[in-house]
Order: sequence, then structure tokens, then C-alpha cells
Amino acid sequence: MLADTLLNVIVLIAGPVIIAFLGAIFGLLYLGVDRKLVAHMQGRIGPPIVQPFRDVDKLMVKESIIPDSAIAWLFKATPILCLVGSISLLLYIPLFGQNAMLTGFGDAIVVMYLLTIPSLALVVAGFSSSSPYATVGAQREMVMMMSYEFPLAMSIVVIAWRIGLVTNLNPFMLSTMAAYPIWGLVGPLGIVGLLILVFSMLIVTPGELGKIPFDVAEAETELAGGLLVEYSGRNLALFYISNAIKSFAVVSLVVAIFFPYNLSPILGITATVPAVILDVLFFLLKVFVIMFICVIVVRAAVARFKIDQASKFYLLIMSAVSLVGFVFILLDVII
Amino acid sequence: MNLLSPEEIVESFKSSLGKDLVDSTIYRQEIASKANLFTSISIVVNREAFRDAINHICKLQEDPHFIVISSSDRGDNVELIYHMSIYYGLHLKEISLLLTVMLPKTDLRIPTITDILPGTIFAERETQEMMGVEVTGIPDNRRLFLPDDFPAGVYPWRNDEAGLKPEMTRVLPGRQGMKHE
Amino acid sequence: MSEVLTKTSFTIPVGPIHPAVHEPVRLDLTIDGEEILDVDIIAGQVHRGIEWLGMNRNNAIQSIYLAERICGICSASHPFSFVQACERAANIEVPKRAEYIRTIVAEIERIHSHLLWAGVAAHEIGFDSVFYLVWRVREEIMDLTEYITGHRNTKAMYMIGGVRRDIVEEQFPRIRQSLDYYRSIFCQLKTVFLDDRTIKLRTRNVGILTKENALKYSVAGPTVRASGVPKDVRQDQAYGAYADLDIKAITPDIVTGTVVGDVYDRIIVRLLEVKQSIDIIDRCLEDMPAGEITSEPKLVKLLSTLKKAEGEGVGRCEAPRGECFHYVRMNAGEETLANWKVRAPTYANLMPIPSMLKGGQIADVPISFASIDPCISCTNRAIVVDISNGRKFSLENEDLHKLSIMKTRRLEENLVS
Repeated sequence: MLADTLLNVIVLIAGPVIIAFLGAIFGLLYLGVDRKLVAHMQGRIGPPIVQPFRDVDKLMVKESIIPDSAIAWLFKATPILCLVGSISLLLYIPLFGQNAMLTGFGDAIVVMYLLTIPSLALVVAGFSSSSPYATVGAQREMVMMMSYEFPLAMSIVVIAWRIGLVTNLNPFMLSTMAAYPIWGLVGPLGIVGLLILVFSMLIVTPGELGKIPFDVAEAETELAGGLLVEYSGRNLALFYISNAIKSFAVVSLVVAIFFPYNLSPILGITATVPAVILDVLFFLLKVFVIMFICVIVVRAAVARFKIDQASKFYLLIMSAVSLVGFVFILLDVII
Repeated sequence: MNLLSPEEIVESFKSSLGKDLVDSTIYRQEIASKANLFTSISIVVNREAFRDAINHICKLQEDPHFIVISSSDRGDNVELIYHMSIYYGLHLKEISLLLTVMLPKTDLRIPTITDILPGTIFAERETQEMMGVEVTGIPDNRRLFLPDDFPAGVYPWRNDEAGLKPEMTRVLPGRQGMKHE
Repeated sequence: MSEVLTKTSFTIPVGPIHPAVHEPVRLDLTIDGEEILDVDIIAGQVHRGIEWLGMNRNNAIQSIYLAERICGICSASHPFSFVQACERAANIEVPKRAEYIRTIVAEIERIHSHLLWAGVAAHEIGFDSVFYLVWRVREEIMDLTEYITGHRNTKAMYMIGGVRRDIVEEQFPRIRQSLDYYRSIFCQLKTVFLDDRTIKLRTRNVGILTKENALKYSVAGPTVRASGVPKDVRQDQAYGAYADLDIKAITPDIVTGTVVGDVYDRIIVRLLEVKQSIDIIDRCLEDMPAGEITSEPKLVKLLSTLKKAEGEGVGRCEAPRGECFHYVRMNAGEETLANWKVRAPTYANLMPIPSMLKGGQIADVPISFASIDPCISCTNRAIVVDISNGRKFSLENEDLHKLSIMKTRRLEENLVS
């Protein structure tokens, strides 16, 4: 009994640490792959894949400068808040083909709320650094958060609702979504609706991650780095890592909702170790594919939007698109 | 637009400005194989008739192209040349105009023409800070290129005692110093 | 202004060091949220006293090379204007072949400059792929420049009374090869810049300069042409070999039928000018007359002619960014120039910037500002070099050398300890 409790405690402490490490490592690795591939698309050689690790390494030893006019404690607290937000996000999302660490303690709604924490931390960081560039960047980040929220929520809620029709389990649980893959539940009309929802989710992802064409909050050529213009050294490194973790988490979320399949049951592999290895590899592949489509290719192929264009795009066009997806699934149910 | 020949332009200045037109020269140069002409007209006017001359140029072409003001220290006088061009937009018809005004150093003032040609503002600000010519009625009196901590009363383009002090410049080894020391 | 400015407005300094401005200049933007209420331009951060040097230290021939260094990109336009001004002041004839060679070099520079600008413009709107690809394409013209002049950028081709190097028949195939390359990719460039959705979204109706304002502020170059004024020194006034060719100023209505005067129109003008430059170089190669390349090959003799010369002259040429103007006066018996005044195109093009930016968004500032292709080094030239108020603006050569040695020593000590 005591041993069990002790074990639980150890798992509870060690688990998040391990997951945070894995998240950071894979997040940075995918960032390196992203930079390399984009470079090749642009006709450049690009940095080595391990470059993000070197960046973090270098930032860690650099001086952290806090502007005189900044609110110092807030300025220092937000990078940690951002990192914590990103890590807790990881704990609720199924990773590497396994269940999420905190399965049963929170559902997709919690994940959606947690998603806003890193962004909010960025906004607070921007305002607390009291630079005009950062302030404008923070305003833009807030507008972006409000804009992409609806299409994001729409995709998750519609799918949970559809799953809820076939099971008594809490459909918002990501584990339920994994148990009842959505593609198997719908007819042809529903498939069309789902494709539309996948599309809208893929378009929301670069906005959520602040990547081109939705990197308005950092817009290098306009705001000289925007939100993070005053950050340096360790504080900047924390934001850098949290951004990498968040990228990994958001893409994993897309995988968990739409593509929760594992390879081992399909191939009939039952032995634990090979099955896990296979699932991990398959998961990493899925994450790569999603990232390739919605971050890497998009980043190389378009210019940055203006904030009003980006906001209108999400609020009007993407909301309409996700509603159309919903209507298709609704029709599929009725008919 | 009625295109006048360079001689006709000089004539029109004469009839419009009368004795305030001090001097005028027409310069022509044959260019390249087809020997097309490069034409420029130099007009010297009194300060009193300066604004009239600008207005007259605006009659020749509604929006004359203003280029820049060049100014030089000619001993007791400061010479301002307003470089302009008219008849642009037509194939090889453009004529460069050099409108020259002499100002005595005892009274270095010239009226602004920003109300007629707003594009002269930078040149007027520059002339003011570099040559020490006061442009009366200028809408923006700040310095253009000189830093704010530059000493007042020193004008880099002047060759007299108001010009750069020798200690403000640096002579590289093996080079001669300022010409007008 | 204070009535307009409410509490919500604040000032953002763009520059002197900012990713949106590639050279030091400062734009003070007064903004309310994203909207720009007011713009102020503060120039003067890169003064190097070039005119002053020409008037006080250098002889006319040395000043050609100084003129070449006024701007990093217009290293043909400034000497081109300068030598014209000197030739007129000293009454020196130019051989016809030299006029053609001057024209070819100037047009090569235009292709180079416009491609460079296209890349920068893409970068400003966050389209880095186009930026990299266009700059890769630009390498070809850089190689050609090196092939003809011996250097990628600093060409040193111009000389008072002619040019310094000939372009001979054997070199023509290599030049034509480059021209063919650009002809072959021109359609691709056009598709990328004129048909891409996001580029259009970011540049259409952005940074509008009305024809009225363009004329009012005496704007020059592609900026004024994009506002529908067919003003191009190559077309308007006889100089170089352009006098023999029928150049027609390019305005955006050739492609779209209308003139808006926005950034998109400026892209059209620059893009078509690349094509125009290719054709001009081709014509020049075909029509190039035989003969001398300079009227006075002996520099000592030329220098003494210049020293004896008395007179004034203007030199005008159409630089990639607009009209580049030099005024020179020479006094007999003086080795240096009596007066030298340079007006680079950006000098004129900066003035309408506030009217282009007002009412727009911060996001439009980089691309709008870049769309005039500002060259700040060109604009700021003439000023004191050194000490004022007892404070040194710059360090002596020897001081720098000393500092550099000291740093090395310091590093060595650190290494040992």
C-alpha cells in the first residue's frame, strides 16, 4: 500500500519531467527539421538540424537584460509561466501512440484552455516589457487569439458531439476519441465534413503557433521581433523552448483528434516492446506529416498577412468553413 | 502644353522680369551618334524678383521638376542655384534650368518657395544649416542632416570664418588640409 | 496636432536601426492601435562629408571614385552624372563608343538594383522564399558585372572624357548569354510578383502616392512613374547612348490599364524596367560604334586640363531609383572642385513618405517605405567629418588600430588565465 503510494508519487514527479524533456527534445528537433527543409525550398543550404539545440545552449549562457522601464518580476515570471503552460499541455495530450499521462483528469476542453496560457503569457510579457514594439505585438497576439479560437473550438466540439452519439463515455476525453476514431463513424457526407474540419484545423495550427503567414505578433520587419523584442538570454531561451514544446503539443493534438490510429494493432504485433517502438515511430511520422503540411510548406509559400487580414481570415472565412464542415456532419447524421 | 525653344524661354523671362533678369546663358551639347541636343539654360535674377521667376517657371510648365539647391561661397556673396527642369515627360524635350540668385553676406535671406513647390523643403532646410542662409517663412525650421549638438553659427559649406574650424576636421597623414585655411 | 492625438496614441521609432530600414534613417510614427496618425523623418545618420572632400581635398579624378562610393548600389549612376558634369564644366568631348559603354554599364546596374529591390520587398512582407530565389537569380548579373568591370559592384568604369575599359567583340557572347538567361526567366518573375495572391494582398492599395502629390514633391524615378507621370531622364533629356535609342518611360497602365500609385504599381514599373534594360543593352551591343574609348588617355594631361578649366556643368542620369543629379563648378588654377552638389533620388523621394504612410497600418510601413527603394547613404552625404563641442565623432585610424591591438592583448590574457 505504502509502496504503491510511493510509486505513484515518484511517477507523478518523474513523469512530467520526462515528458517535458521528451517534448522539448522533439520540439526542438522538429524546429530544426523545419528550418532545414524551408531552407532547401528557398534554395539555401540552411542550418544543421541540431541548430535549435545550439541556439538554446547559446542563449542560456548569454546575459539576460531586463529593461529599466519593464515590470521586472512580471518580465521574469512570464517565460516560466509560458513554459509551464506548454508542458502541462503535453500532459493532457496522448503522445507517442500511448495514452496521455493525465488521462482521466482532463478532456479536450481543458486542453483548449491550456492552449491559451502560453499565448497569454506572451501577451503579458509583451506588455510588461513596456517597449512600443512589444506593446503592439501584444495587442496583435490578443487579436490573433480571439480570431482563431472559434474555428478551433468548432472542430473539437463537432467531433466530440459526433462521438458522443455512439458511446456513453465522455466524448471530450482524448482517450475516447482514440477509442472511437471518428473516420469510422461517419458516412460519405460525414467524410466530406471531416475533411473540411481537418482543413480548418490545419489552417488554425500556424496561427496558433505564430508561424508565417500568421506571425504578425513577432513580424520581424515591422516590429523588430514584436512581443519578444526586449527578451534576451535565459528568458528568451525559455520562450524558445516553450514555443518548440507548444508546436509539438499542438500538432500532437491534431494527430490525437483526427488520426489516433496506431500501427501495431493493424499489423497484429502484440509483443509490448516492438509494438511500442513501432507506435512511437508511427506517431513521429504523423507529427512530421502534419507539420510539413501546415507549417513548413505554408511558411515557404506565402507572405505575411496584415493583422486585419489575418483576423478577418480566421473570424469570417475559417469560421464559415468549419460551420460548413459541421453542417455536412449534421446532414450525415440526419440522413 | 506650348513648348518654347530655349531662346523663347529666355525672351519670356526678359519680358516677365524686366531688368531684374541679370544674365542668361543657353548651353547646348550634342550627344552620341544622332547628335541630339542636351540643353540647359542658366538664368541669374535679383533676389527681389526671385519668387516671380519661380512663378514664371510654373507658367512654362505647371509642375516644374525641382531638383536641388546648390550654394557656394563666392567671397562677399553667397550664390544659390535652384536646379529645376521643365518639359519632362516628352521625348528629348526636357530643358535643365539653373536659376541663380546672389545674396550679399551682409543680408543672407531668401524667401521660401515651399508654398509654390512643396518639394523644396529638404533643400531649403539643408541650405539653411549648411550655408547659413536664412529662408524666410520656411514651415519646418529644424535641421535636416546636421546633428542637434552641432555648434550653432558654424556652416560647413562656407569658406570664411563661419565655415568649419580647422580643429573640427581631421587631416590624414600625407594629405593636405583644408583649402581655405 | 494635440487635438488629434488622444491618450491611446504613442510614438514608435522605426530606425535608425530597425529591420524595416536597411540603412540608418529614422521614421517617427505616431500611432493609435495599428493606425498611423503622423510620420516624421529624421535623416542625417550616415553623413560622410563626400561633397566637402571633393571641394577641399581631392582632385576631380579622385572624386570620381569617391562619387562611386556615395552609394553601395548606384556605383555607376553617381560617377556617370559626375563625369558628365565635369565634362560640361571643362568642355571635354566624349567619344561615341564611350557613351555606349557607359550606357551598358548603367543598364546592368539597373537590372542588378531592381532585382535586389524585388528581393528586399519580398522580405519586407515576410515572403522569404521569394527573397532568396530572386537574389539567387541576381547572381547572374553580378557575375556579368564582374566579367565586364572586374568587380561585382564597384565598377570603376567611368572617367572624365570616356571610360576606362573597353567592351570588345569577344565579350559580347557572354553578355548576350546573361541577357538570354534573364529573358528566359522574366515570365516566371512576372508570375511570381504580379499574380501571387499574398503579394497582391499586401501591396495593392498600400502606400498610395497620388499623381498630384508626386508632382508636388518633385518625386523621381520608378516612384513617380508608378504614379502615372511618364518622367524618365533617359527619355526626357539627351545623355549617354540613350539619346540614340527611343526610350519610353514605363508607367503601370501598360499592364493594368489604370494607375493606382500603390506599391503594386511600383513593382510593375520596376519589373518592366528590367525587361527594358535587357533590350537597351542588346541595342547598345548591336549599334556600338567603333573608335576610341576616351578622349584623353593620359591622366596627367587630363588632370592639368581640369586644373585649367573654368566653368560649371550639370550631369543628370536616371539611376535605378530615379534621377541622379550632380552639379560641378571648377575654378581655374584650383586642383579641387570649386563646388560639388549631389542630389540622389532618395533625397526627393523621402519627402512624400508621410503622405504615403498616414492612415495606413504599421504592417504597411516596411513595404511602403521600401517601395521607394530608399538609399539613405545617397541622401546623406555632406557634412563635417570629425570633432564638435570638443567631442570626437569618429576615431582616428591610429586610435582604431591601437584599440584593436589592445583588444587582441586582452583576449590573449584571458586565454592564458
